[in-house]
Amino acid sequence: MHSDLNLLKTWGWNHHHTSPPIAAYVHIPFCRHRCGYCNFSLLANRDDLFERFLNGLATELSELQEPRPVQTLFLGGGTPSILPPPLMQQLLALLRHWLPLSKGGEWSIEANPLDIRADSLHLWKDLGINRISIGGQSFDPAKLKRLERDHSPDELDRAIEAARSVMDSVSLDLIFAAPDETPEIWHNDLVHAIHSGLNHLSTYGLTYEKGARFWGERARQIIKPVDEDTELEMYLDAIDTLSSHGFEHYEISNFAKPDQACRHNQAYWRGDSWWAFGPSAARYVGGVRSVNHRGTLEYLRRLETGCSPVIEREELTLDQQWRERFVFGMRQLRGVPWQSWQSHVPANVRESINQKIAEHIEHGWMHEIEDHVRLTRKGLVVSDSLWSEYLD
Amino acid sequence: MNGKDPKSIGEIPLSRIRNFCIIAHIDHGKSTLADRLLERTGTVEIRRMKEQLLDAMDLERERGITIKAKAVSLHHWHNGELYELNLIDTPGHVDFQYEVSRSLTCCEGALLLVDAFQGVEAQTVANAYSAMDHNLKIIPVINKIDLNHARVDEVTTEMEQVLGIDPDDIVKCSGKAGIGIDELITAIIERIPAPSGETSGSLQAMVFDSHYDDYRGAITYVRLMSGEVKRGDKVRFYRAGVNYEVLELGQFVPERKPVDKLRAGEVGYLICNIKSLKDVRIGDTVVHANDTTVEPLEGYQPPKRMVYCGLYPSDGQDFSELRDALEKLSINDPSFEFAPETSEALGFGFRCGFLGLLHMEIIQQRLENECDIDLVQTAPNVTYEIVKRGGEVLEIHRPQEVPDSGEIEEFRQPIVRVNFVLPTEFIGVVMKLCQDRRGILRGNEYLSGTRALVSYDLPLAEVIYDLHDKLKSVTRGYGTMDYEIIGYENADLVRMDILVNGKRVDALSVICDRRDSDRRGRAVVKKLKEEIDRHMFEVAVQAAIGARVIARETVPAMRKNVTAKCYGGDITRKRKLWAKQREGKKRMKSIGSVDIPQKAFMAVLDTGADNK
Ligand SMILES: Nc1nc2c(ncn2[C@@H]2O[C@H](COP(=O)(O)OP(=O)(O)OP(=O)(O)O)[C@@H](O)[C@H]2O)c(=O)[nH]1
Ligand code: SF4
Ligand SMILES: [Mg+2]
Repeated sequence: MHSDLNLLKTWGWNHHHTSPPIAAYVHIPFCRHRCGYCNFSLLANRDDLFERFLNGLATELSELQEPRPVQTLFLGGGTPSILPPPLMQQLLALLRHWLPLSKGGEWSIEANPLDIRADSLHLWKDLGINRISIGGQSFDPAKLKRLERDHSPDELDRAIEAARSVMDSVSLDLIFAAPDETPEIWHNDLVHAIHSGLNHLSTYGLTYEKGARFWGERARQIIKPVDEDTELEMYLDAIDTLSSHGFEHYEISNFAKPDQACRHNQAYWRGDSWWAFGPSAARYVGGVRSVNHRGTLEYLRRLETGCSPVIEREELTLDQQWRERFVFGMRQLRGVPWQSWQSHVPANVRESINQKIAEHIEHGWMHEIEDHVRLTRKGLVVSDSLWSEYLD
Repeated sequence: MNGKDPKSIGEIPLSRIRNFCIIAHIDHGKSTLADRLLERTGTVEIRRMKEQLLDAMDLERERGITIKAKAVSLHHWHNGELYELNLIDTPGHVDFQYEVSRSLTCCEGALLLVDAFQGVEAQTVANAYSAMDHNLKIIPVINKIDLNHARVDEVTTEMEQVLGIDPDDIVKCSGKAGIGIDELITAIIERIPAPSGETSGSLQAMVFDSHYDDYRGAITYVRLMSGEVKRGDKVRFYRAGVNYEVLELGQFVPERKPVDKLRAGEVGYLICNIKSLKDVRIGDTVVHANDTTVEPLEGYQPPKRMVYCGLYPSDGQDFSELRDALEKLSINDPSFEFAPETSEALGFGFRCGFLGLLHMEIIQQRLENECDIDLVQTAPNVTYEIVKRGGEVLEIHRPQEVPDSGEIEEFRQPIVRVNFVLPTEFIGVVMKLCQDRRGILRGNEYLSGTRALVSYDLPLAEVIYDLHDKLKSVTRGYGTMDYEIIGYENADLVRMDILVNGKRVDALSVICDRRDSDRRGRAVVKKLKEEIDRHMFEVAVQAAIGARVIARETVPAMRKNVTAKCYGGDITRKRKLWAKQREGKKRMKSIGSVDIPQKAFMAVLDTGADNK
């Protein structure tokens, strides 16, 4: 297959490449409505665009030129589960062609509780999806309303139950520090989640993002955010409560039952390369980070007229690659195997990182365990203040 | 110009030359009126005309004000005879007052403009008196009569009462609408005396300005008081004691136009292969090199630097780049001066002297426009005088130089006479403003039924920081002010230091009145608390006089900073964000391990006046 676009090259692919990406992300930019805190790339209530989008996505995928087997595939959004069965079939078939999942691979889909029914679950499962990540956010009715979610606590309970009976692995997203939320409300959410038989949990402190409606409402003081100390208390409660109930805290916001960590997401933190498709999708191929246009219509227009949807592209130097690998690797609670990396890292980078590590160990923000460097609990909660010093 | 080419007419006799400047309060329409004069005399073709044509510098156009005085020669036919009208457009802002007084010495007359709506204002009064001191023939002009709200009758009364102007002499015009321009030109020709001076006498040319041309070097602006000068003449700059050959001479029309000679009474320029403006002393006299009998003219007072501040490259690497940039600026603007200095907190930088706050702002903007250096600026201060116990007198340009209080016999500060012109209903609030700043009332007179002139003696320090802004706000924009230095006076002054985590930050010290120190100390530490980002540890900010701490605030340690999400797309974003933070940090000054943002060095200006 041949194309004038030659996106493969734009993405950073080259033929001498020893390790092609074995992870892929696909962004489905549709939701029923936009939640007030969300600034993701998506269009709300535009079912009319589904087909056109699938065609555009097909064009972008065909730029792979040949099927590229992957070990993990992640269907995110937006709300991928929003696609009605025939279109979902079409999408999954397309992905199975271009990004065939290796044996034992992990294929996740993000789903809205309202879309999780026995029939849809079976369809997804039959076409190869084996992991589901549920956008539930809370079991508290008032909090769900405040977050402008479109489902009830009961609907969420039923969705989890149904998912567990079909999928190998079920994960739930929970938000804390919603406006007006108390530590008790949050603790109840945690306890409820623990008793729901999930294998995986992601907990996110609510953030106010530019481009989301909450951002302006906070600025105009319509919304009063939870204060910093309370948010910290909630975060620590999540860590303690989940850890004492069989969940391993393996990444800043992620908790998993044994062997249930999300393999796909770990690729990001490990510094592995991955393919990515769809509006706003970011990929890392051959040492090049590139990002697609975040406007769905513009993304489509470009693909339809033979233009590249990539709007940002940066080739990382070897130094930068190592610095990033360190920083993003440190998000994992086990840390990074710094000792074994040292011999591969260019001397100047090694020295400056060593110096920072020593400083941060001194302050009690990091510690060394065998050949790993990792964050202490004290360092964990302020870790974002540390990273800028490691990147050059 | 009646279709006749002035060139073909031959020499214009001295009796048909008029030298005048346009003076007024800021924004009363000087440059716009100059436009009309250029147009009406055909000096500039209509199609090449643009608003405030003489304001040619980028910064002047950007800010819509005149910064530098400009000379231009106009030719005009009047009653069948050709006249040469040499005009100087002057700046209205008080910082550039010295440009006005220099211009006055080159003229026999002045157009004193008054805005038909604003009326007589502080700078109007100051400029009118200056012109009278120079014995100039004043043509009073009420300008902007096209305005809907023009108050011609009241403004006439004001001019009569305050400036003693005969209402019958007032010319009414509108520079913008082009009304009354012919009458004005007639008044210029008929009322302003021709220059006196002997063309046959010894050459005496007053250097009243200069500017730098990248190709030709220094361009010297001169007004010939007597004699003649021709191309190729050997001349001497009397006080500088240096000889040059005149390579080119000419007039501004308004661009440079070479002529063969300049005569007594004329205004023009000389180009003599002078490499730096530093070699041209404003106020010097140009004479013929071999003329040993001639005396120099009385020069000007050099402009006085009123305000000093420190400028530091935020990246120490840029020091020599900054020096080069300052050097270049001072070549173009000799009124700006700088000298290297060091600060424990900020490293190597420069102490810079300015004519006033606007001048400081302008120099800074030029630095920003013309070179890519990130700057940290310390709070501006005035020049103090300290008499030490032994009798030694120190000039203090920065707070760090203040010796221990035990060594100080007298601590003196500059005092200025401030004249306010304002609607009478605001007299009370303005008096309060001045009394809060320890002003002494010196005069209060009515200009008309509705406007008054109030004079106060005030410490210059109190004036430059924010008095102008405060005046505008309490008088809803109607009050204006003008000031001049009247001398130094002993006062109860102290140096207030700022400590960050126990470490004194020299660049944050300020000099203030002891009675204000508690209030200012509280205000400054509060402001610094807002400016300093949270760190991983607690940061204590204290204000102290000597060993006594007078105020304290604490920036609490950061408790939580961790991003919830970090997946594929976030990695690119996060990395950029952190890289930006890193850049931002580089630009901050690190004191101990506390990062202090550039803005914080201005925080010490917070006087706390609003929360008295
Ligand atoms: N209505 C009206 N506006 C005028 C007139 N003359 C000037 N202006 C406006 O007044 C403002 C100031 O005009 P300038 O000519 O720059 O005033 P200036 O006195 O040279 O100002 P400085 O040099 O900064 O002191 C501009 O916005 C002009 O458009 C006039 O005759 N009528
Ligand atoms: S939060 Fe999730 S469901 Fe809500 S708009 Fe964003 S992507 Fe859609
Ligand atoms: Mg002007």
